Amino acid sequence: MGKSFLVLLLKIFYKMRVVYMFFLTYLRSKNYVKAYLVMICLLGIVTFIWKVNFRAQSLEDWVLIYVLSGSILLLNNFLIHLPPKDNSFSMDSAIYLASMFLYGIDLTINVLLISSVIELMYKRKMAWWKHVFNFSMYCLMLVGAYYSFILFGGTIGKVNTYNLLPYMISLVVYFSLNIAFMLIFFFISGQIFKGTFDMGVLFESVVSYFVTLLLSLVLTILLKEQRYFGLFLFTVLVVLLSFAFRKFLYLYQDISERANKDHLTGLYNHGFFKETLSEQFTDAKKLKQPFCLALLDLDDFKKYNDRNGHLQGDRLLQFFGDLLKLETKGTNYVVARYGGEEFAILMPNTTKKEAFSFLDRLRKKVNDTYFAGVEHVPYRCLSFSCGIAEYEKETYDSGELIHKADQALYYAKAQGKNNVQVYDDKNISLDAITFKEDLDTLEQQLKIFLSKDVYTYRHSKRVFKYALEFSEKLNLADHEKQTLILGALIHDIGKIEVPRDILNKEEKLAPHEWEIVKKHVTWGKEILAVEKRFDDLIPLVELHHERYDGKGYPHGLKEEEIPKLARILCIIDSFDAMTTERPYQPTKTFEEAIEEIRCCEGKQFDPIYAEMFIEMIEENYLKKHRFAAT
Amino acid sequence: MVYDGILLSLLIGFFRGGSLKGLAYMKLRGGWLFPILLGIEVCIFLLQNKVSMIGELSNALFIIIYVIGLVFLWMNRHHPGFIVIFAGVLLNFFVMAVNGGRMPVSIEAAQFLGREYIEALKAGVYGKHEAITGATWLPFLGDIIPLSPPYPRRQVISIGDVVMNVGAFIFIQHLMLHGTNKEATSVQTLHEGR
Repeated sequence: MGKSFLVLLLKIFYKMRVVYMFFLTYLRSKNYVKAYLVMICLLGIVTFIWKVNFRAQSLEDWVLIYVLSGSILLLNNFLIHLPPKDNSFSMDSAIYLASMFLYGIDLTINVLLISSVIELMYKRKMAWWKHVFNFSMYCLMLVGAYYSFILFGGTIGKVNTYNLLPYMISLVVYFSLNIAFMLIFFFISGQIFKGTFDMGVLFESVVSYFVTLLLSLVLTILLKEQRYFGLFLFTVLVVLLSFAFRKFLYLYQDISERANKDHLTGLYNHGFFKETLSEQFTDAKKLKQPFCLALLDLDDFKKYNDRNGHLQGDRLLQFFGDLLKLETKGTNYVVARYGGEEFAILMPNTTKKEAFSFLDRLRKKVNDTYFAGVEHVPYRCLSFSCGIAEYEKETYDSGELIHKADQALYYAKAQGKNNVQVYDDKNISLDAITFKEDLDTLEQQLKIFLSKDVYTYRHSKRVFKYALEFSEKLNLADHEKQTLILGALIHDIGKIEVPRDILNKEEKLAPHEWEIVKKHVTWGKEILAVEKRFDDLIPLVELHHERYDGKGYPHGLKEEEIPKLARILCIIDSFDAMTTERPYQPTKTFEEAIEEIRCCEGKQFDPIYAEMFIEMIEENYLKKHRFAAT
Repeated sequence: MVYDGILLSLLIGFFRGGSLKGLAYMKLRGGWLFPILLGIEVCIFLLQNKVSMIGELSNALFIIIYVIGLVFLWMNRHHPGFIVIFAGVLLNFFVMAVNGGRMPVSIEAAQFLGREYIEALKAGVYGKHEAITGATWLPFLGDIIPLSPPYPRRQVISIGDVVMNVGAFIFIQHLMLHGTNKEATSVQTLHEGR
């Protein structure tokens, strides 16, 4: 069952990412893998040499060995596919176990040797060490199962239905050893596991284990009654089943392809793309690998459609889809049709520089490719604009990445189309008028607090003022400044949903009340998400209560995982909260508040920005105070 | 056994929708060797009990025929299945070589083939075979697999024969199902090239 079980187990352990990640940091080294493989192989081969005995078998036994090996090879060739995913497993374990129950370990080991040698010769694509590892693993499994069978009173050579315990025990030992060997291998070798732990998959594999177990008993009885004919029946049955299941698998694959692909271009569709993006995103985050997203938009497609008709437009889309497929062949990129004439490329393990050079090369190639009807578009050639966003530590969900790539794409369009732009804060700052408009809109929203909770209104205004001053001092790009200022103004908008009684309660909050207060960041995010132009502010609103040491809410992010602007806003917000009178806490003076911030550097606050903020406060406020005092 | 295997392969080939056309495109290197080898072998069978010199040399002759056969198979190893046939023949050759040029046959397995056969076997004059004794090397590679009902014929074969048949099966399936397609596609690409 070796390789097929490998696949099955891979599927399961793909799902056990969390545990695995923990081990990854400690064990991610080729040397451990090698050491483990060598150890198992040595162990297996020593066991084999200990158990093997070519002379013990009579010629009749040899005929049996040949027939058993032949069946095993057949079964390994005709795997049973389980339709839900492309899980497949072989029934060869049933034969090994049945042979062990009836004829003992010597003969079975010979069967194992012959079938392994033939597999080694004809599956040459598989690395030789995998063959040796498989062989050794089976050796150990069989010997383990054999001795546990003997230990619990099983007798070789007859079927004893009155005492099933030894059979059960040896079956359990057989598969536990299998699982253990594979599990350790996967832990050490550092393969990426996708998805989370899934009971469905576990259940599936347990079922297939069980089927094999029961079949091994069935085969034992068959072999006992009608040696060759029994084995023949069993093998034919399994091969036929394999055919039937394979048909199901094809059917399933066909349907799922259709569900995941865009009909016109043959690329993946929007839904599948989103799903893959968030999967890859979590992987990139865990493994700290570079990761890029590119959005492409065909230039002047509408004009092309108007001049050449929609049918020809569809042909162009098809053509462009084929081109993308061709260009990304052999890479691990995922290409999807994102919208009408918008395409998206997911580039795992790619830095923005690599992504840029790839896409710019693609752009030139597209320019040089003639397609009927392009004479009528302004450029007189096929062209696209493209925006690239790279995953950074501060990017906290996949939606943000799409948003960034989208902004870069808009910038590329604004630069006159037919060019590729990498997302950069400097390029996308709002002009003064738009900024003013945004500010007005947010202020309008904030005004609702005037009646509900005037404290929050004033607090927001003050934080806004500090942010304005602080942003001057910080070395920020224009767009970042604007984002910080707007975010500071609106950061507590979610408190609209928190009842007044809780907001103004004098005593300590009860746990459930505290839970409600904590939710204001999420509510704020939802309120802002309604308008697309405020997408940039969402991280500030959602994450301004995250702490540098990872003990904050809502996600418990830490250090660089928290976006820079949210870290800055957190300091300003806390400073104002400390220095303003509230029903439930005594007010601190500015000096005391500075002390407090210093204390919490590295715990609640980012030490660098906290220090800069203190400097700013001392400069702008405390000097004046002293001035006034003297 | 070899002819049974070929017949079975042809039947299954037809069943899978193949045709004999592919067999016409079969191109074997040194294909002329095959009938000559067969002819020599038949001559030895017929003459070894009449002409004493051939009888004495027959073991060596069988070995030489096998070696030439192996070379022929090796030359054609790019055909699917030929390497498997090669392996089968090699197994047979190996056990014969270590046992002085004769194929060892298991007496127990050969029981049902008839008394005369067993006698001839023990006397060592039956074709290229001899009985397995305690002195036989690698007995498990000899003719030890008895074929009996429901199989339509009674025969004793070796594992090498089985492997050989598997190879022949693969080769014939390939010829019958894919042999013609290859020609067709090559014609088409030529056309497109112009």
